[in-house]
Amino acid sequence: MKNLFLASKGHQYTYEELFRDVGSRKMACSRIFVKGNHPYQIFAAIVHSLWLDYPVELLDGDFSDEELKRMGIQASDLQPALLDGLPEHPPSHEEVTARLHPKNWTLSLYTSGTTGRPKKVTHRYESLTRQVKTGSQWKDHVWGFAYNPTHMAGLQVFFQAFCNKNPMIYVFNEEQKRLPDLIEPYQITHLSATATYYRNIFPRLQSKTYPCVRRITFGGEGFDDRLSEKMKQVFPHAQIRNVYASTEAGSVFAGNGRTFTIPSSIKDLVKINENQELLIHQSLVGTMENAEVGSEWLNTGDVVQKVGADEFAFVSRNSDFINVGGYRVNPLEVEAVLTAVPGVADALVKGKKNSVTGNLLTADIVKEADAEEDEVKKAVREHASRTLQPWKVPRILAFVEDIPKTRTGKKVRE
Amino acid sequence: MQDKLIVIVNDMCKDNGLPPLKRLDADQHLRDDLNMDSLMLAELTVRVESEFGVDIFEDGLVETMGDVIRKIEGHQGP
Repeated sequence: MKNLFLASKGHQYTYEELFRDVGSRKMACSRIFVKGNHPYQIFAAIVHSLWLDYPVELLDGDFSDEELKRMGIQASDLQPALLDGLPEHPPSHEEVTARLHPKNWTLSLYTSGTTGRPKKVTHRYESLTRQVKTGSQWKDHVWGFAYNPTHMAGLQVFFQAFCNKNPMIYVFNEEQKRLPDLIEPYQITHLSATATYYRNIFPRLQSKTYPCVRRITFGGEGFDDRLSEKMKQVFPHAQIRNVYASTEAGSVFAGNGRTFTIPSSIKDLVKINENQELLIHQSLVGTMENAEVGSEWLNTGDVVQKVGADEFAFVSRNSDFINVGGYRVNPLEVEAVLTAVPGVADALVKGKKNSVTGNLLTADIVKEADAEEDEVKKAVREHASRTLQPWKVPRILAFVEDIPKTRTGKKVRE
Repeated sequence: MQDKLIVIVNDMCKDNGLPPLKRLDADQHLRDDLNMDSLMLAELTVRVESEFGVDIFEDGLVETMGDVIRKIEGHQGP
């Protein structure tokens, strides 16, 4: 389809339809809240706000009434208001993108995944689109959209696609299982998703290869070498990339495979402290509500390892480490070992509190459909005991149907 | 109760490559006789807690199988 903007849940929307729709809207709300996170509704609202240059707050459509209340948002705050003085003609793509240094427009998001009340972070256009690239080289890309559209990673894909007038094919949530059937008909060239996403979809992809895919990007979670190898088999022509983005700072780094490169333009705005945590200078970060006055650096809570003068590798989220008898265990490391066992489709490693060692590792395992539980259990134990230090071996294994994910698509670790 | 306990202990012995017990003996010393290290003791604690609802190591005073049995019986009442 010519000029396709978005294919989602069996519907197709062209860029013309998008702009006609946006141009005809007589009402708007400064808070974008779409129950069910329908991507078209969300993107159209963002484009509308860009066109008319007003600030918006993007709320996850999965927020419950209770969560919204805790954030201080009432139902009346979500009601659209009538607009006046509207332009007579709907915008064109050129018109919207030419204005893409909006004066008033900002976009606010709420941090996810941490305990307590979500914190609001407000971004200007420039910080949100730092990594967006435009030009003839990017013109013919077709994106598989595999993130929650209200989160930072999803916004990064949206802006990259929108600024280049690329089609997006929505393959998140319940649409994920359709990915294998959509890649070829739409000739998807780029796919960006979490490692968990790829791990989940791999069994459905593995019987074929998809030569049209030129780039596979990992975002949001630790990199997984073995998974990356699997992806190369399925997508023989794809370059494997890795991006580092956060709600607070947007997309900051990209890299090939395991390591990220610190661009020379922001070299002085990034540092690693004595606890190996990654710090990002305030000037790269959106405006945070209740930010500590005078704190010049944002501690990302991500533990990294420096591998070269301007390169680092992601190790784990600081809060993900589990203390077992005084040893700090990185659950991602253990999960990588478990998922290497034949018959294991996915694994989640957790700490179980006890009075002897503080925590004991347990693992929830998703087995492949044709694998036998007893055999998988035995193989996992043997492989883990052989490969890992004793305190890193999960002592209690449970088989589960699937592993719960956060709204961003990362594994729930608590 | 002891039947369930021996199943738990023997499951662990099997997983850790140790010979299974034929019966539970109150004098069996967890560390010296059954060769349990702290990770196995932690595992025993977690498994017993999920079966019987009692944290046998809460006060840290568990040396023998008899201690384990007493903690479980004490929790369950006479």
